[in-house]
Amino acid sequence: MNNSREGNSQLALDDGAHIAVIGGGPTGTFFSIFALHMARMIGKELNITIYEPKDFTKDGPGGCNRCGGIISELLVQTLAVEGINLPDSVVQKGIHSYKLHTEQGSVSIATPALEKTIATVYRGGGPKGKVSPDIASFDNFLLEQAVREGAVRKPVRIDRIVLKNTKPVLYAKDAEIQEADLVVGACGINSTAPKIFEQMGFGYTEPEKITAAIAEIGLDEKVIADCFGSSINLFLLPDRNIKFAAMIPKGTYVTLCILGKKVTARTMKDFLNNPVTKAVLPDTMPYEIHCSCLPKMNIRAPKKPFTDRVVMCGDAGSTRLFKDGLGAAYLMGKAAAKTAVFDGVGADEFRANYYPVYKSIIYDNYFGAMLYFVIDIYRKWKYLTKAMIHVVDKEQQSSRDEKILSAMLWDMFTGNERYKNVFMKSLKIRMHADMWEGLFKGLVRGKNETG
Amino acid sequence: MKQGELGKVYVDREIIFKEGSQGDSMFVIQSGKVKITKKTEKEEDLTIAVLGTGEIFGEMALFDKQTRSANAIAMGEARILSIDKKKLFSSISRDPTLVFKMLESMSRRIRKLNDDLTQFKKNKFDVLHACVNLEDTCTLILEEARNLISADNGSVMLLDDKGETLSIKSAFGKKSDSHLQLSVGEGIAGDVLNSGRAELVNNVSMDQRYKAGTAHIKSMICIPLKCNDKNIGVMNMSNNTDRLFTLEDLKVLNALSFYASVAIENARNFSALHDASEQVLRHATLLDM
Repeated sequence: MNNSREGNSQLALDDGAHIAVIGGGPTGTFFSIFALHMARMIGKELNITIYEPKDFTKDGPGGCNRCGGIISELLVQTLAVEGINLPDSVVQKGIHSYKLHTEQGSVSIATPALEKTIATVYRGGGPKGKVSPDIASFDNFLLEQAVREGAVRKPVRIDRIVLKNTKPVLYAKDAEIQEADLVVGACGINSTAPKIFEQMGFGYTEPEKITAAIAEIGLDEKVIADCFGSSINLFLLPDRNIKFAAMIPKGTYVTLCILGKKVTARTMKDFLNNPVTKAVLPDTMPYEIHCSCLPKMNIRAPKKPFTDRVVMCGDAGSTRLFKDGLGAAYLMGKAAAKTAVFDGVGADEFRANYYPVYKSIIYDNYFGAMLYFVIDIYRKWKYLTKAMIHVVDKEQQSSRDEKILSAMLWDMFTGNERYKNVFMKSLKIRMHADMWEGLFKGLVRGKNETG
Repeated sequence: MKQGELGKVYVDREIIFKEGSQGDSMFVIQSGKVKITKKTEKEEDLTIAVLGTGEIFGEMALFDKQTRSANAIAMGEARILSIDKKKLFSSISRDPTLVFKMLESMSRRIRKLNDDLTQFKKNKFDVLHACVNLEDTCTLILEEARNLISADNGSVMLLDDKGETLSIKSAFGKKSDSHLQLSVGEGIAGDVLNSGRAELVNNVSMDQRYKAGTAHIKSMICIPLKCNDKNIGVMNMSNNTDRLFTLEDLKVLNALSFYASVAIENARNFSALHDASEQVLRHATLLDM
């Protein structure tokens, strides 16, 4: 992106300015909550309208924004500091540990004092056909928070945005809906909405995507408690099409998420028939897939996410690679709100204040890609998988405070830490010494077994 | 704890952190209540605040790098989410606006402290005002005595200017006789004034010195009030019921009597000074005429 002046300088939001947020998911609602709060701090009132055609209280795909629904430890804590405390009806399960399963064994990584610091949630009203009073949608909870702050929610699908006299004008079914001082594109990538911004012609293009698989597996609550407890089960299998998979317990369901190349409905069946997966699931109890989908995931952010009076956030902009999409929604929604309220809504203001945060996620994802590349090698080569399990197991048994590999895997798969910081941890010599020891032992054992 | 709940559960009266301990995390209440207490000089726990769901505590030790300034104790079952110092500061360094909510919460607490301080100063003013009036001072002394020991009745009796008669300046109890007067050496109070020694009498009816008033009492403590080695009055605490006083009660009231005597003498001196200045002012006004 060039650094030359592109639009009007010092485009600011006046008192009573109108903002249109396209998409009522976490990015749009975080933007609205923070923009309204910050504007009030400096004595301004903003009129924010959130355009979201979905009813998040509905069960099945109609109310769901299609993701695994894990809120990382860092995001849970950050939201608590922000005064956004997740109610028990939204948190389907508090998580205190991860169980890592490989063909070479399993190992558990837990939080200190087994404090439940990770939340599993449903984005919508829950699996298809299973509306329950115990299930409250995370997206709906945030949307209600935004409405409480002063935003207005309209269940309207915007299908066109046109710049008229330098201001964006929104249309639905060819009828003019609103002229806005700022439009926030928080529409995700699983709808046709990003195309509206492409058609505006300011240079935005949809992000590069891959397909993931998500399924809700219905099981007896006691079986889930016995088999999963308060742990997310993570699978690193040598299957070339599956980068990793996770089984996330939530009340009477377990959410299965599969990420990888060429993921299809068939991949889900193959995964569930894998002996490593079967060992985790109950032997006798039948399970049923209530709901499944193949959502798209952003793996490369678009280069032009803003222009005068328009900014793209969340999955439609830059998000964290494979993990913590909700954490990225918080970061980007808030960064856009800060820029709009304190700096302005011109392209220059977004470039100077919003774009560094946007780029920091892209930059961090390079480290993420490197880490996943290394993990790929480890999961595909059995002696390295063994060595990894050996080191984590040794660390978990040890009273030593510094559990490098455990902390790395925890931070990486919980989305608790930036990929760069995880990568920096991987440079510690002690961990490599332990890995070499594990590798050596694995090779010797393997040789003895074959000999 | 239900499955969907976040944080760690603390049972009733479980200590979350102790005053003086190192603080490396702050806390957010997910459900229940937390009591913030502080030890007084007398080693008693003073409750500073009771916090509820959504409130933050323990943040002071993170920012001022001192040890914990108070205890945090669960009131009933409380579920608490801890927030690690390192992670919090790392997040704040990236996004300084993260402290907005914390500042709001701290501002609310400073406002409450200001209100409490104003109320405290007002109470202090009331106490000072009481200390320049003899009857109010005696009432205040009895209030303090009641805070220290349990008793059904109590009175402060002071010797008149001639040093002959003890009369009640302030009293509490249902059947207190505010008009009772005793000569020096009369009754238990008159005898204590004479001897200058505090006494604990747990069977008053058997004591020959006892002079029955309107109230029928079963046990009493009588403490002499002295100033400059001169006995100026007595402080009585008594029970109508079978509850007995202890030696500890006697010691505690004896300790209070020293401060009570000083306060009474100050009130008397202030009153005398006030009368004298009034008189001087009156004379001066007459001369002007």
